[in-house]
Amino acid sequence: MKEGLVGLEIEERGEVVVARLTGELDIAGASRTGERITEAVPTSAGGLVVDLMELDFIDSSGIAMLFALVRQLGSRRQKLSVAAPAGGPVWRVLEIVEFERAAPVHRDVEAAVAQISPY
Amino acid sequence: MRALPELFDLRVKARSLAYLFTAGAGLGLVTLAFPHDEAVKDLQLVVLAGIAIGIAGVVYIEADRIREWQLHVALALGTLILTFANYYVGVNSLYPLLYTWTALYAFYFFPLAVALGQVAFIALSYAVLLVIQDPASPIVRWLLAVGTPVVAGLLISRLLEYMGLETGTAEQRERALRQSEARTRLVLDSAPDAFITTDRDGIITTWNVAAERMFGWRAVEAIGKPMRGIIIPPEFRDRHDERRRALIAQEGAVATQIFDMVLQRRDGSRFDGEATVSRVVIGDDVILSGFLRDLSERQRREEERDELLRAQAARAEAERVAEMMSGMGALVDAALARPRLDEMVADLVAGVQKVLGADATTIFLADEKEKWLRIGASSQGTRPEDVDPIPFGEGIAGRAARSREPLFAQRPDPADLRDPGLHELDIDSLLAVPFLAKGAVIGVLEVCALPPRRFTADDLGMLRLAGERVALAIAHARVYEREHEVAATLQRSLLPERLPDLPGLLVAAQYRPAAAESGVGGDWYDVIPIPGGGAGLVMGDVAGKGLPAASMVGRLRSALRAYALEGHDPAMVVQQLNRLVWTEAGESEMVTLLYVVVDPTEGVARWVNAGHPPPLLVGGNGRPKFLEGGTSVPLGVMPFPSYEEMSAALAPGSTLVLYTDGLVEVPGAHIDEGLSRLADQLPGAPEEPEALCNYLLRRLVPARGAPDDVALLTLRNVPLGDEFSFEFPNEPEALASMRALLRRWLRNGGGGEQEVAEITTACGEAATNAIEHAGPGDAKRFEVSGRMKGREVEICVRDFGAWRTPREGDQGRGLSLMRALMDTVDVTPTSAGTTVRLQRTLREAGGNGGPG
Repeated sequence: MKEGLVGLEIEERGEVVVARLTGELDIAGASRTGERITEAVPTSAGGLVVDLMELDFIDSSGIAMLFALVRQLGSRRQKLSVAAPAGGPVWRVLEIVEFERAAPVHRDVEAAVAQISPY
Repeated sequence: MRALPELFDLRVKARSLAYLFTAGAGLGLVTLAFPHDEAVKDLQLVVLAGIAIGIAGVVYIEADRIREWQLHVALALGTLILTFANYYVGVNSLYPLLYTWTALYAFYFFPLAVALGQVAFIALSYAVLLVIQDPASPIVRWLLAVGTPVVAGLLISRLLEYMGLETGTAEQRERALRQSEARTRLVLDSAPDAFITTDRDGIITTWNVAAERMFGWRAVEAIGKPMRGIIIPPEFRDRHDERRRALIAQEGAVATQIFDMVLQRRDGSRFDGEATVSRVVIGDDVILSGFLRDLSERQRREEERDELLRAQAARAEAERVAEMMSGMGALVDAALARPRLDEMVADLVAGVQKVLGADATTIFLADEKEKWLRIGASSQGTRPEDVDPIPFGEGIAGRAARSREPLFAQRPDPADLRDPGLHELDIDSLLAVPFLAKGAVIGVLEVCALPPRRFTADDLGMLRLAGERVALAIAHARVYEREHEVAATLQRSLLPERLPDLPGLLVAAQYRPAAAESGVGGDWYDVIPIPGGGAGLVMGDVAGKGLPAASMVGRLRSALRAYALEGHDPAMVVQQLNRLVWTEAGESEMVTLLYVVVDPTEGVARWVNAGHPPPLLVGGNGRPKFLEGGTSVPLGVMPFPSYEEMSAALAPGSTLVLYTDGLVEVPGAHIDEGLSRLADQLPGAPEEPEALCNYLLRRLVPARGAPDDVALLTLRNVPLGDEFSFEFPNEPEALASMRALLRRWLRNGGGGEQEVAEITTACGEAATNAIEHAGPGDAKRFEVSGRMKGREVEICVRDFGAWRTPREGDQGRGLSLMRALMDTVDVTPTSAGTTVRLQRTLREAGGNGGPG
């Protein structure tokens, strides 16, 4: 599924929902992609991993979408973690906006999933 | 005497002459049989007798054809023969007595002058004879020989004259009279009218066959009875007697009167009759004769004749209508061949005028919605633009349109004639017929007659027929025109109104309709901006023309855009289009399609070719090369053909040329010839796409148009230098294009991957702000320009809206990102808009010289 240049795939790993984003995430697709991810996470789920490993580009709109997801899941007492390739453009942006203060950022998806569901 | 010769016809005269000659010759031969004088020359006499009999035979046989003068000559010949006979017999013979015969014949059958002439000839010839023979007493002999026939002839003819008048031809006269009576009887009996005669007392004496037929009484029953008792009804009998007596008492020899009277048949039935009664007085006797005519019979006959005339007139009318119908049919068929309504209506005016024999004809076309008429065509040359719209109800044509009924006008008021061409004419009569199609008035047909020609209300039927045909033709033409218009509009809508601005790419396209057909072709092209700065180029050709082809193009175009924007690979896009054509189009539908996706950032063109002529790639060096690979079957031919994606480098400065076969079709030549003709044009051709399109069309397509439609699309990958400036629409989708352009430019300028990503991200933030700042009424575009000086990069993003102070949180995060990613960030808000200047020095060892 694509919104603008961004692709989204949803995967469930036990009680964890993994949302894999690909392509480029900017204002053209951010809000719609955020809504789709929210819809994909049931209240019964333990938490959400946003997989940015294959995402080529993110801007402040994408960051805003991530912050919004953190707030929504937090209000439902669900956890969120992010996976992004270390040192890449996305990682760099997450660093600049100090995203780690809102949610943990991992270097791979497994670590992110394990963070939420340690069993 | 004057009358007698005329009593005989020539046949009788001729035969009598023949008998006379035969008898004379016979008598002469008989005398030779008896003992006679030695001096008589027998042989010569026999020869003379033979000559006489020969003449007799000829005259007898030719009796029916002989002329009067020929008889005179024949008789003179007889006299001559007789004279020779006298000579050969000798001086003492009694032959001269035979002259009496010829003289008598002449007096009997010839007019007196001719008879005397014949006698003079006898006298002369006998005198000559006597002189030759020198007899003893010539004078006495001559007087006896000539005097005898003269005296005998005169006496006999006097006698005949008397007998001819009184008793001489009594038998002939009796016979002639009987014949005359029989003829009269025959004539009377065959007469259509009854002929009745009565004596002075009214007793019937004649009753012809028609009288038998008319009254039912046979002649034998009617003759001898009083007329009043047989055919006069009782109450009219006294009056009848009065009339009869009055007629008898009238002065003069003959009196004739005509009466109308009631007559009665044998069965008692009565009828009106007309009697023409004549009174004839013969000596003391009086005869009344009358022709009686049955007026009721005559009335019936007149009615029959009228009926016959009406039937003939009806048949003539039917034939006229049939002839007109076939004439109308022919002219409508001819008019229908005209694709344009105005031409067709002009044809109809000329045709109707001829078929109806009108002196002036106008066709008005109606706008049923607006309720007005305008002139469609006029025999007087009036043009549609010469006359203001005529509201329904105004003028004769307008009234006919409003009432929807035909109108007939005698000596129309010129003010009612809305075709100004008619004002000068001395119009006797005018017919106006509205014509309807599907219940709507679509026009009015008006025909005028000048004296001596005159239309009557009877001609309305004829004109109505003509109107129906004309309505049919116009309705057909309107449908055709509408279809043509719809198709043309559709096609215009199917071709991009303007091509999109593609950063770093220049595109241009041209469409040239075919020369011959004005129908809408199935060629189409499209340029689809692909998110991320790429472009999809489409060139297709739907087989066929007109509305069906145009609607197919419409479906394919929107389907292709949808598939392309979903981000499918070119091969997948084409496969899905094939499914569409295969499942939804008719069996004969076939579409060739070339779909090329250009990625300027990577400098690559990827294409799928479904049976279309190959695209032409012109490298930066100007050398042309057809991209031949990957050609598969056209769309709609197979359910699951395999479409292979091919790719080629599209270096900065190179150009792609896409076209339909109309550009490379050379009549009668192989397609390869057309392709090489196209390739031959390119060395030396302009680089700029717009100019290139015009250049190619000018050199390959005749000025009057190609045999087929031609669509041409060119794209140039513009090389980016140290500086650039592009405008983008105020749309979120433009951001990806802008980033693609920047990446291409930065890599070209030697930027490392990390630096390129960071600068691109910063510019994206500035551009996002620009898009968000644009309020209603602001310019719909923002501008991005870049300048590279050595390793120094300066990028300006300029919008034309009002700057909004960044709030903390999501919106303010953009500004902090820019500041974190760039060396300097200057925001300059003005009333005209905001400019964000971003600067950074490149430090990484980037891939300078990589793909542009």
